[in-house]
Amino acid sequence: MSSDLIVGMAGAGGDGIVSAGEAMMTAAALEGYSALLTKSFGPQIRGGESSCRVRVATQPVLSAGGTLDIAVALNWDDFLKFGSELGVDGRTTVIYEAASGVAPGELPLAGVVPREAIPVEVARLAKETAGTDRAKNSVVLGLLAAWLGMPEAAFLAGIRKRFGKKGEEVLRGNLAAFDAGFRHAAERPLREPRRLATPGKAGPPKLVVDGNEMCAAAALFAGCEFFGGYPITPSSEIMQFFAREVWKHGGSMLQAEDEIAGIGAVVGASFAGKKAMTATSGPGMSLKTEMLGLATIAELPLVCVNVQRGGPSTGMPTKSEQSDLLQACFSAHGDVVRPVLAPISVADTFGITVEAFNVAEHYQTPVILLSDQEIGQRKETVDAIDTSAFPVLERQRPTGAELDGYERFRATDSGISPISHPGLPGGNYLASGIEHNELGSPTASGEVHARMNEKRLRKLEPLKQRRDLFLEEGDPKAALGVVAWGSVAGVAREAVRLARREGIDVKLLVPKLLFPVAEEVYAQFFKSVEAGLVVEQSHQGQLYRVLRMFAEVPRGVQPLARSGSVPILAATIVERLRGQVLALQSRLVPEGEPAG
Amino acid sequence: MASAAIQAYQAKDYKSELKPIWCPGCGDFGVVQAIYRALAAVGRPPHEIAFVSGIGCSSRIPGYTTAYGFNSVHGRALPIAQGIKLASPELLVLVAGGDGDGFSIGGGHVAHAVRRNVDLTYIVMDNQIYGLTKGQLSPTSPRGLRTASSTWGSLEDPVNPLLYVLGYGASFVAQGTPADMSGLAALIEEAIRFPGFAFVNVQSPCVTYGQEEQSLKAHKSAMRPLASLGHDPGDRLRAMALAAEYGKALYTGVFYRNPEPPPTYEAEAKARQQQARPLAPARRDILEMFRAQ
Repeated sequence: MSSDLIVGMAGAGGDGIVSAGEAMMTAAALEGYSALLTKSFGPQIRGGESSCRVRVATQPVLSAGGTLDIAVALNWDDFLKFGSELGVDGRTTVIYEAASGVAPGELPLAGVVPREAIPVEVARLAKETAGTDRAKNSVVLGLLAAWLGMPEAAFLAGIRKRFGKKGEEVLRGNLAAFDAGFRHAAERPLREPRRLATPGKAGPPKLVVDGNEMCAAAALFAGCEFFGGYPITPSSEIMQFFAREVWKHGGSMLQAEDEIAGIGAVVGASFAGKKAMTATSGPGMSLKTEMLGLATIAELPLVCVNVQRGGPSTGMPTKSEQSDLLQACFSAHGDVVRPVLAPISVADTFGITVEAFNVAEHYQTPVILLSDQEIGQRKETVDAIDTSAFPVLERQRPTGAELDGYERFRATDSGISPISHPGLPGGNYLASGIEHNELGSPTASGEVHARMNEKRLRKLEPLKQRRDLFLEEGDPKAALGVVAWGSVAGVAREAVRLARREGIDVKLLVPKLLFPVAEEVYAQFFKSVEAGLVVEQSHQGQLYRVLRMFAEVPRGVQPLARSGSVPILAATIVERLRGQVLALQSRLVPEGEPAG
Repeated sequence: MASAAIQAYQAKDYKSELKPIWCPGCGDFGVVQAIYRALAAVGRPPHEIAFVSGIGCSSRIPGYTTAYGFNSVHGRALPIAQGIKLASPELLVLVAGGDGDGFSIGGGHVAHAVRRNVDLTYIVMDNQIYGLTKGQLSPTSPRGLRTASSTWGSLEDPVNPLLYVLGYGASFVAQGTPADMSGLAALIEEAIRFPGFAFVNVQSPCVTYGQEEQSLKAHKSAMRPLASLGHDPGDRLRAMALAAEYGKALYTGVFYRNPEPPPTYEAEAKARQQQARPLAPARRDILEMFRAQ
């Protein structure tokens, strides 16, 4: 019995590999498993190779994991195109299309001898039962249901959800194909079984959702009434969600003519008093930078989501990377601090998005929400979220007394000045990108400029005390410390658990507030730390560099940073930690003294 | 126009206390006066008006009114104004700026504001020069013009704002000059009252860097009211033929007024909201749509 299995599948476009993965997610969610689905495609717009990975476990799944436990190759050319994204080793059970003519002992896997190799006539089974080889994916689901021992009914529900809208005939064909696969597998037990343990308690069905849709839904929950944006991979699903849902909630949206107009309309909507959001990826962020500066000086709340992909320029539009952190923190001209928040999973995207709106509205500032392609486009099973546990803040409006001789940018202790909006009698003022005095009147006075800069930066200081925007795990006194953020945080959490299981004393800090840097939180975390890692998916180690600017990072803490697309694995992190343990022991423990 | 006695607001109610930075004799003084008059005639209280601009001499104009103003960044007034109007359709939204703001750095936004037909009034103060940056070529500068950035004369043809906007499909296109104040005020009032995107090009001379033949005095003798030519503002093709003479003849008045204005974006959005609202989940249950079943 396994409690945690990773299935990877690849095929040609039209084989429905991703649909199979989605049906498996539904099945897992219905049965109370935790599961995580990632998809990967070739560069073709339509057709071409496609693949997915589904990790199913009885305990919460923190990352997409590494080497596959079960590999499904509907054809070898397509499977091999995914390289390390579908890694196979001696522990992998390989299921493949028998019509490929490849003998089980001669798999094209660069010398890897898998645990078991099983040819199945997938296409023939599909044709015989559904009348078309387009039902190959349902045959595969039948095989997996039987060999994993997951309840058939849940898979059937998954198939109904996936294929129900394609008509009765297609659905019937797929159900028959599933059945054929299931019977085929039931009659041929694996030499080395791959049965999945049942999850402890079966609660209500879980949610199945990706990070982009979670982000958009959370925005609506937070009271977002306007979205402006422009299509860009991998964030377009956020705009598409608004196009479908925002009208139901009395809001409005605009697919703008370009990235600048998208955020421009959001700035306008915010000026008009409404909560508003835009979403994009790296190239769009470059274009939106000017408007972010405007929102900073005009002190207008807005949320700007960047679902990061590989850069610079067009870079790698469909691959995840964490290389826009420096841009998020520093791309403004002038003296600017912009809050930057990052979720660590699909589930976490809910709370962090709501928080992004809260920070934006409370502090009257643009907030950058740094998601990434991995979180944005992967699906997770998510336990029910009690939305009432997430407070929603509103911007501070002027009182009646404050509207008497209203000063839009009034000097206050907090630096936050009550904000009016068109339509409110007595609140009339001039918003501007030009420096202005307390009334909003343009100024060229150096004194006023200094005063306003101080106000705009001071108001954000309390953010640095937001310890609730940090996750800490492990032994607080450990000498080894790991810092990780965004989607890589899940991998790091898994790695720290593995390391602690093998006796390595290590702790983890996950910032969800990336900027401004909470110096004191890091100071406290690093107090006991002599060595460790800052783990991130960027070539330069961007978080490591930001931390070096603002916090005292112990010399033994090193970046574990690599460019996007090739995933960082928990095993890699653990291996580096083992090395650091050895180094610490040889360097730090004087002879004759017991190791403390 | 209603008589002053029964107007709820006077022109002075829209004038702020800020002193304009414009040069003495600048055409923009006349434009802001015409806007005060037009707003008084329309009669919306200042707090129900959002006045958006970009960057340039003329983009300072919202600050000289008592409306909610937004002096934003160069070329981006139209997207911001659309966001305001879509977020709060009950507001009266004015947009203003120069020819560089509207037809150079912000030129890409005009076509889309037009085709979306958000109910905005867009006033361009066209002076064929960059004044704020001290006298460089603008997109409407005539070919051959010598400026600080075209020492030997411009090598480019100017854009034709009137023909562009007509070509984009705008339903209301007009041109005025502060040389005819009451005519300009009436045009702006008509544009504001027009239900949909309305464009008013104002020939607003630059007294510091502009050409002699573009002075207000020259306008007075050169301007040709379209009404006096017997032009039918419902005739779009004729309007385009007249607009093609931009730079050669100074026509004033309404070039085109769509006799059957199309619906605005915000009106259609409202209808969609009403249609979709019964399908809305309670906000606390918003994640239920993702539940596996």
